[in-house]
Amino acid sequence: MSAVSASDSALPRDFASLEPWVAAGWAGQTAHDRSLLRVDRSPEEVAAFHAAVAPLLDPALAYLDLFPVDRLPPAEERLMRLMLTFAHVALAVEMQGPDEVLQRVATRHMRITRAVADRPPA
Amino acid sequence: MDTIACTAGSELPGTPIDPAEYGPRTVATGPYYRRDWFEWEVEAIFRREWLQVAHVSEVQNPGDFVVREVDCCKVSALIVKGKDGVIRAFHNVCTHRGTLLVSDRPAGNAPVFTCRYHGWSFERDGSLRAAPDFDTFGLAKADCALKPIALDVCGGLIYINLDPQPRQSLAEFLGPAWDLLPYHAAATATGFSEYVYEIEGNWKLVYDNFQETYHLRFIHPRSIGTSTSPAGNFFGYADTFATFGPHRTMLLPVNPEFEPAPTAARGFGKVIQSAMERGTELGPWNRYYFCMFPDNYLLLSQANPFVHSIMPISETRTRGTVRLYWNGEDASASERFAREFAMAATRDIHSEDVSVIEACQKGILSRAIDRVHFQQHELFCHYLYDQARLRVQDWLSQQGMADAADAALEFGR
Repeated sequence: MSAVSASDSALPRDFASLEPWVAAGWAGQTAHDRSLLRVDRSPEEVAAFHAAVAPLLDPALAYLDLFPVDRLPPAEERLMRLMLTFAHVALAVEMQGPDEVLQRVATRHMRITRAVADRPPA
Repeated sequence: MDTIACTAGSELPGTPIDPAEYGPRTVATGPYYRRDWFEWEVEAIFRREWLQVAHVSEVQNPGDFVVREVDCCKVSALIVKGKDGVIRAFHNVCTHRGTLLVSDRPAGNAPVFTCRYHGWSFERDGSLRAAPDFDTFGLAKADCALKPIALDVCGGLIYINLDPQPRQSLAEFLGPAWDLLPYHAAATATGFSEYVYEIEGNWKLVYDNFQETYHLRFIHPRSIGTSTSPAGNFFGYADTFATFGPHRTMLLPVNPEFEPAPTAARGFGKVIQSAMERGTELGPWNRYYFCMFPDNYLLLSQANPFVHSIMPISETRTRGTVRLYWNGEDASASERFAREFAMAATRDIHSEDVSVIEACQKGILSRAIDRVHFQQHELFCHYLYDQARLRVQDWLSQQGMADAADAALEFGR
């Protein structure tokens, strides 16, 4: 694998501030990948990701809603996957809080084998 | 759809149960760990009752197939849609010498199924299409079709029954649930999200965890421990319990004072809004939780409409499969986000239970105790225990071994 180039992590202009997170691997390809980011990365990194994305969640989804969800251009598709990772991270930060230390072990027992977001377009 | 004909004078399917009257119970631990008991359960229950194994969206087109393993019965089931549009199930076993027919992939589309051993090939309706040098067998093709497995569909959910002659039709088995399952999102779903787990626990012990609310405060303090317990109901006990045949249902309470975290409010809010816009109208059935014998639960909910299946592997190992069914494709990025969140949040709750179930199984295996106690609101646990026991005892009687179960059911053994 070659190093990630800048264009591989490019996001739509209004969300360019989140590009370092894409470069750091936070736009997980599958729901299972996205669920692992929450438990594989350090608690500090998870908290920082949450803090960076939370204020942009609503604007990002409002922006993405302008596109057909199954035919997103590459940058928009990356932004979508970044927001989907946020769904998992939000549970760690907003709901579990101090108990996330337990969930880092517990959620590994439950492998996500299928998600509607991962289906190829019909 | 706004009302359903149901038990007269009640919105409940089946017969309401008063927990105080049904009472607490103490039962022997034998059925939660003994290998002999488990082997009897396999014969008496899993080879005889209807099992929920697939969904119609997995076999939409002619030739679409899935292979489903019923581990405890060592059965591999091939579920396939024929060109006549009929969904059928067969033993996934070549009728020549017993080789597994489809062994290279768990699902796909095939015009014909060909055994890799000697090239026998079977049509999608199970009939033998051709076999190399078939004349040398002296057999009739009609006698060599794949062995069928009984299959029926209710509310989009595919059930199979391994009994060559099931004692009941699926409609008879489901009873009032036959009319209610079409209200579950699975009935109109075009897709689903799924997560799977394997756990060191007897199937009933695993099942029991998910059919009582007494543990919610302790095991789920941050997820559903408070959202399901309104003022005056600290343990979130169900408002209503009922049984029908071997099945159970309860109406889960909600805490109107509970304030969800910001992303939860957005995620669950959106899936509920979408479900309503799509006309998924649950009416009085929202928040009904069905505990179906022997192998699954269904939650009738617009927020996380799941079917959770429990499949025993051995006397102390079980596989769980949770599917959240979605009505229609993702219409927007917001809906895609909301469905991912609803799946992840439901998975969070289920995953909180794994370690305590395994700890419970370890304690029982130590034989430190010979009995377990159920309080009155844990009534579904001893209802399941009794339903399994009755079937085992009935089966043992038929085998001329009526007394064989006693050792497992007595205290002090």
